[in-house]
Amino acid sequence: MNVLKVPTRTIAVFVLPALLLYICLVFVPIIVSFYTGLLNWDGITAAKFIGFGNFKNMFLHDPIFWPSVLRTLLYAVASIVEIPFCLLMAILLNRYVRKGNALVSIYFTPVILSVVIIGQLWSTIYNPAAMGGMLNGVLTSIGLERWTHNWLTEPKIAMYCIYVVSLWQYFGYHLLIQFTGIQNLPSEIYEAAKIDGADGFKADRYITLPLIVPIFKISVVLAFIGSLQAFDLVMVMTGGGPAHATDVISTHMYNSSILSQKYGYGSAIATFLVLVCLSFTVVINLIFSRLEKKFG
Amino acid sequence: MILNSKKMIGVALTGALTLSLTACGGTDTKTTDSGSATTGDKSTDKKVTISFQNIYPDPTTPSYKMLHSIVDQYQKDHPNVTIELDTLNTDQQKMKLKTQAASKEVPDITIVNPAAQMKPFVDAKLLAPLNDMLDQNGLKDTYQKGLLDNYSFDGNTYAVPDGNNIEVVYYNKELFQQAGIAKTPTTFDELLQDVKALKAKGITPIAIGEKDSWTGSFLFMNILLRTYGGPGFLKDVVDGKKTFNDPAFTLAVDRFQDLVQAGAFPDGATSIDYNAGGNIFKTGKAAMYIMGTWETGSIDASSVASKVAAFQFPTVDGKGDVNQYMLAPGSAFAVSANSEHVQETKDFLNYFALNLPKKQFEYKNAVGLGQKIDGDLKASGYSDLAISVAGLFNNISGGDLAFDNTMNPATAQAHLGSIQNLFVQKVDAVQVAKEHQSAFEANK
Repeated sequence: MNVLKVPTRTIAVFVLPALLLYICLVFVPIIVSFYTGLLNWDGITAAKFIGFGNFKNMFLHDPIFWPSVLRTLLYAVASIVEIPFCLLMAILLNRYVRKGNALVSIYFTPVILSVVIIGQLWSTIYNPAAMGGMLNGVLTSIGLERWTHNWLTEPKIAMYCIYVVSLWQYFGYHLLIQFTGIQNLPSEIYEAAKIDGADGFKADRYITLPLIVPIFKISVVLAFIGSLQAFDLVMVMTGGGPAHATDVISTHMYNSSILSQKYGYGSAIATFLVLVCLSFTVVINLIFSRLEKKFG
Repeated sequence: MILNSKKMIGVALTGALTLSLTACGGTDTKTTDSGSATTGDKSTDKKVTISFQNIYPDPTTPSYKMLHSIVDQYQKDHPNVTIELDTLNTDQQKMKLKTQAASKEVPDITIVNPAAQMKPFVDAKLLAPLNDMLDQNGLKDTYQKGLLDNYSFDGNTYAVPDGNNIEVVYYNKELFQQAGIAKTPTTFDELLQDVKALKAKGITPIAIGEKDSWTGSFLFMNILLRTYGGPGFLKDVVDGKKTFNDPAFTLAVDRFQDLVQAGAFPDGATSIDYNAGGNIFKTGKAAMYIMGTWETGSIDASSVASKVAAFQFPTVDGKGDVNQYMLAPGSAFAVSANSEHVQETKDFLNYFALNLPKKQFEYKNAVGLGQKIDGDLKASGYSDLAISVAGLFNNISGGDLAFDNTMNPATAQAHLGSIQNLFVQKVDAVQVAKEHQSAFEANK
């Protein structure tokens, strides 16, 4: 900044509009939502201040809350585990496929489809055979009738079926990010490495991986935060049912505030969700700054 | 929304302008409180826009046609009145109204649901009492006796319903014959036997769309209405006379589970939504459909129309009276207390409510009307099914409202989840009762 000799006041003026917008659209709602979380409020009649009562209920007495947190975290972990595979795929595509772009575009198609369409599509695939469910139909036709299930209505497996859809949908998304990241790496480095005798997988190990870390981080953060907020797919496919077996944090929040008309309680869950998202973002950033230091 | 409110302000300003202009002319255009004897007809020069939130989005339904034909006629008769329709589907409307209520911007006319569901709006003083409107043109007397009680609090009526329905068992005569069932069941055990007989023939016994969890609850509540020997269980719970641990309740849970265990419902019922559930029956793939009489019209319009008849929900273990039903007083029209032109709105609603039954009758949608109508169903070409269902209404000797119309929303949600769970796993009835009781106590 000293080099440019721009007065602080000027900087402030230029930053102000965006900052104001950011504060109004992000911070104020978070604070309002936190405050609402302290109320016993049905959204219509007068609200009553009850301090941390909602939070206490949420942590100690709500039988749906912790399982839904667990499912959300599992969702997040699953979507992170997916990313190394995306990276591997991107490396392979980059190396062995001449027109990789076309393939990547194809893998990307599910991302541009609306989640509602994806949800309906997969619901039909998962349907019981009697209703023309494709998956069960295929299993039956190859003699694996014992493996057929009511995929979306058996409490023990319904959630995993939704994970699969989500992973399938976002595979192309993360693949695209990694693929583009790799393509943008300067080719001189690889040429220099080749002269030094580092070729093939060796080049990937010592050049691609370290240089791709920042891109990898973006994918991880996006995947993690995205799955913490997962809502639409669950809502379309099961609505959190059967009997809350597929409730995640955000569907539980929605059900509490809208259906049960406990806005205060819903806001408390929302506050929890914000805190979880923030703290995990910090943790992920910490981990990656270590990684970057190590490789950098 | 922004556009909308701008428009509203514009209209309000123009209104104010004309008001002040005519005030110069010396005619009193204020028709509110001061002159309750004069109706809105006198202020024909005052431009009024009435916003009308409604839940009739489907142009193929009789209700849609009824709404539009009445509104068009009224606008023709009253050139100064513009009715602005805000048409949504049921769930959207519920959500939008709650959002609007939070900021006290309820449309002039909106839709509320009976009893416990509309109570928060009444408590928040968002709705205008309609007693004076009901007295106009004898509107009050057109409603079935006691129906308006579901929309009244402390002696004031806050909404008028678009219908009144009961829960019956529709059945497909052809499929019953195929399974060798000679007569409709009158006891729950017979019903169970029929379910097994149908199942053995590979026919889905009872259609349901349990993804929308109220459907299962509606059926369960009918069993409870029988095991309790009559209506009022939930009310007694609210009043503290009973708890959910009552044997009537656990028996109802057990009997309901008997149905599930006998394979009465389609595979994956909890992933089927309400419409798809109904279609299983309407396409002839299921033998029974236990639902409100509002379905009569659409069953008549389906491919199985000629094969369908209806019977009363059977008694359970010898308890209950088949002439007691799960009652479903309809969604209802309410007027915003903060409306800028309450009187004009009431005048319109009065006209609307008076003409609703006539139009519904014309459009072959008279089964499940909340108002008395003159007219012969048979002569007007109604189906046998419609006539027989309409006949059931004559012998109603009481009944219960749906769970979410009796209990607060939080308890109702816990109940819906608990019942949905019974579709996917067997649960000890005592446990189900406990879930209900603790949800009830936590949300009292």
